[in-house]
Amino acid sequence: MSPASEPHPPGATLTWAGCWRGARAILPVLPPVFMFGIAFGIAARGVGLEGWIAVLMSMAVFAGAAQFAVLDLWTSPVPWLPLLVATFAINARHILLGASLRALCRGLAPWKVYGAMALLSDLNWAALIAAERKGERDLGYLVGGGALMWTTWVSATIIGAVAGGLTLDDVKTYALDLVLVTFFAVTLVGLRRGRVDDLPWLVAGAAAMGAVWFLPPNWHVMVGGLAGGLAGLIRDELKRP
Amino acid sequence: MSTTQALLVVLAMALVTYATRAGGIFLVGFVPMSARTENFLRYLAGAVLVALVVPATVRGGPEGYVAVGVAILARLVLRKALPAIALGILAAALWRAYMGAS
Repeated sequence: MSPASEPHPPGATLTWAGCWRGARAILPVLPPVFMFGIAFGIAARGVGLEGWIAVLMSMAVFAGAAQFAVLDLWTSPVPWLPLLVATFAINARHILLGASLRALCRGLAPWKVYGAMALLSDLNWAALIAAERKGERDLGYLVGGGALMWTTWVSATIIGAVAGGLTLDDVKTYALDLVLVTFFAVTLVGLRRGRVDDLPWLVAGAAAMGAVWFLPPNWHVMVGGLAGGLAGLIRDELKRP
Repeated sequence: MSTTQALLVVLAMALVTYATRAGGIFLVGFVPMSARTENFLRYLAGAVLVALVVPATVRGGPEGYVAVGVAILARLVLRKALPAIALGILAAALWRAYMGAS
């Protein structure tokens, strides 16, 4: 890539200051992450995982939806194929999230980029995308938010799995789902550029609902995201003289 | 499931999950950068968020619509994210209190 041929914005950075900004941005969603972590710990013990295995899973996998899903498959003999397919299907949306961060990785050393991606999740990605619209160029934003979420998720799993004596009824997950969805919705408002987004967003919403109704579970983010992105691209190509 | 099997499952899950996290930025590296790619990636970010929000709102039922509707309105009026989220949740809680648990 020759710098002269492309009108780049300046390259991205990864700094402690960026990590700090990202960690602060993620604070409002930590309570639900914490509660879901406790719920995961309890549920894991419930299907017979040893506590330390549940904690290890939270540390190494760090993906709540997939972790809950495999609890249903926690049988002997191990149902390897369904288990891996479920893990992939639920997490496949990360591929789109990562792809959309291209500009924020530009010029960074590969170890920084691939290290940062280990902490990629919907919440810190959404926070970063919203901040990018306001001029954020620091991939540390993702790392700081992700590290704080990881710490919260792992500590909560420890409490749920190891502390013992808790039941799922003790964890009221009511309203926690709503915190996450309102967080995404509010982020979306900040992301809107104007009428140009109407068509892609309508297509994305319709395709996501279509996927919920007609496809196996967990493909809706992937399907909606790709459909909306393509809709915007095709519309612009057709308008071009 | 034996401990060894459980450890293997955790390891396999971790590898698959990391592959999806690293896969996006890896794959997009093979796409030549052009105005068209930039354009698509910009639409992609918003579309992914919409695809997260819409099904989750529908799944939330009346409380979901109230929470998201109020939060979006509050975000537009107040121009601040945190109070908007708080108002959305508060509105859903009030809805639940007055309309009964759904």
